[in-house]
Amino acid sequence: MKEAEAEEQQEFSYQQRLKAAVHYTMGCLCNEVALDKEVQFSKQTIAAISEVTFQQCEHFAKDLEMFARHAKRSTISTEDVKLLARRSNSLLKYITEKNEEIAQLNQEQKAKKKKKLENETKNSIEPEDTEVMESEN
Amino acid sequence: MADSPSPDSEPTTRTLLRRVLDTADVRSPRRRRSARNAIQRSVFETTSSRSLGSQTKTSVRRRSHGARSIGRLAHVQASAYLEKDTPRTLLKNILLTAPESSIMMPNPVVKLVPLSQVVQSYRRESSQGSLELQLPELDPPTTLGPGLPTSSRKKQRLRLSVFQQEVNQGLPLSQGEVPNFPYASFLFTRSLNLTFTTPLQPQSVRRPGLARRPPTRRAVDVGALLQDLQDNSVASAPPGDSLRIPVATQPTNIVLEDTQPFSQPLVSSFPSVHHSLPHPPHTGVEDAERTLDRRTWNSGLELQDHMSRTDYATTSSPISELQPPLPEVTEAAGSEEAVRVKELEGSSEDEDTSGEPASPELATSTPELLQLPPPPGVGVLPSEPLEPVPARLPSRPRAAGPRPYRDPYRTGLSHYVKLFSFHAKMPMEKKAVEMVERCLDKYFQNLCNDLEVFAAHAGRKTVKPEDLELLLRRQGLVTDEVSMHVLVEQHLPMEYRQLLIPCAFSGNSVFPAH
Repeated sequence: MKEAEAEEQQEFSYQQRLKAAVHYTMGCLCNEVALDKEVQFSKQTIAAISEVTFQQCEHFAKDLEMFARHAKRSTISTEDVKLLARRSNSLLKYITEKNEEIAQLNQEQKAKKKKKLENETKNSIEPEDTEVMESEN
Repeated sequence: MADSPSPDSEPTTRTLLRRVLDTADVRSPRRRRSARNAIQRSVFETTSSRSLGSQTKTSVRRRSHGARSIGRLAHVQASAYLEKDTPRTLLKNILLTAPESSIMMPNPVVKLVPLSQVVQSYRRESSQGSLELQLPELDPPTTLGPGLPTSSRKKQRLRLSVFQQEVNQGLPLSQGEVPNFPYASFLFTRSLNLTFTTPLQPQSVRRPGLARRPPTRRAVDVGALLQDLQDNSVASAPPGDSLRIPVATQPTNIVLEDTQPFSQPLVSSFPSVHHSLPHPPHTGVEDAERTLDRRTWNSGLELQDHMSRTDYATTSSPISELQPPLPEVTEAAGSEEAVRVKELEGSSEDEDTSGEPASPELATSTPELLQLPPPPGVGVLPSEPLEPVPARLPSRPRAAGPRPYRDPYRTGLSHYVKLFSFHAKMPMEKKAVEMVERCLDKYFQNLCNDLEVFAAHAGRKTVKPEDLELLLRRQGLVTDEVSMHVLVEQHLPMEYRQLLIPCAFSGNSVFPAH
């Protein structure tokens, strides 16, 4: 019983810290926008937005998990994220672009790795081949 | 033992009974007591209710612990029976053999008679203030026999009048014989009054749901519907009738229609979906229109998966494609739609419902969608419903006069719009109705898009119940506590429960049993 309560308290404090972090980030963002658009943000507004953001994050997480399970996967992939963001076109575009960039990066890295591996294997094979040839000879 | 001679020389039952009881071999003290009581009761029975001799069969059930039964059995059979049977078994025999009659209110006679018995027995045993005691006893009999046949009602009613006459006649005669009899008659009359005031209760008890329904609802429904019909200038029966017609066979409809207006579209449309056959599109367009009303929601679900841009005329080719995926989709559609109808009001009335992930997204998407060109799904929706224009409505007379052009993808929603205006409980402007229609349209299109995307996400081309479950989860209707099967059971008619839930009727029996 006590352990459960302690866990709950821990979770709660963890949640509070997360919320505080979100709130802080929201404050920074709002200040940026305020400077940009020359409007002012009241504290309640920032608090409200951060609260909503936090709850949306919870929703998103649950949805992502559901999507992954729907596709019979146990890992959340970019496909799931794209499915989540399909509602707003601009967000979807942004995400797909980012996805492509990341995919490209990954490919480049893979290509580099392959080259390295190939070089190494070539180097290792050639002496073997020469040995074999010599042995055959 | 009481041995006052039977005053009215009714020889058979009474005398036989007394003889039998006097001579019977009493086995247990209980016997003796019951015999004594029986005799006592029989005495008074004869004096007061001799005319009811044949009618007191039912009264025996309640009060006379075998007095009557003993009498009758003695009349019928040898006395040897008495020795073997207990009063209880005799009573059972009577219950088995006696004609059925309702103990409930439609049979006021029955109550009166037991009351008379009660009166007499109580008079012997308790004080005169026992009238109050009798009242609660009346109540249990009223609630006991709801299932008894009503055919005996008329008989009992006749008997009531007869009884009344005879009571009035019998009173003066028998006054001299038994003291306190006027009191008995007084009690009779009082009991008469009492029982006649109870009739209302059992009827409402029998059908509580209908009794509580406010009567005005029906009027509003028909009025609004007729108005809309006139507006649309469709000269046909109100949709309520047309919905009922194709489903003539199912008795569950009646219950559903009375208590749950939601389930009308489901009940009517589902059997049609399942029994539908591919039908050339050039059948009575009127039928098509009517099915459109019911089908467009279904079409929205299915078509968007399979065809994107099909012309209204070229329906014949896609129909064959539609046929195989239809059965899968319809089942999925069914469970979704049931919940959809519930969602309708919430979403259409207030798009800012909080706590639902779909609705904020809906709000953001509506500005986008409004910017879109006339939705590409226009041609999509009407093509499918022609396919299930089945032989359900074979010979409907054609509507008189020209029919104005009906926006095909709006007509299907008209039914939901009418439901909406019905539940609004106040008259709605035409513009408001149109707005609601548009919102519903967007909403359903969104849902269908989601379904399509979910199916594609799982690498499939067909929408399956799993996709619907995901959709319902996102809506918050299916949770960890509430599974989809629960929703199916709650909202769909029984037949679909069987189709959608595996082992629905297995009754928790597993083969092979472990």
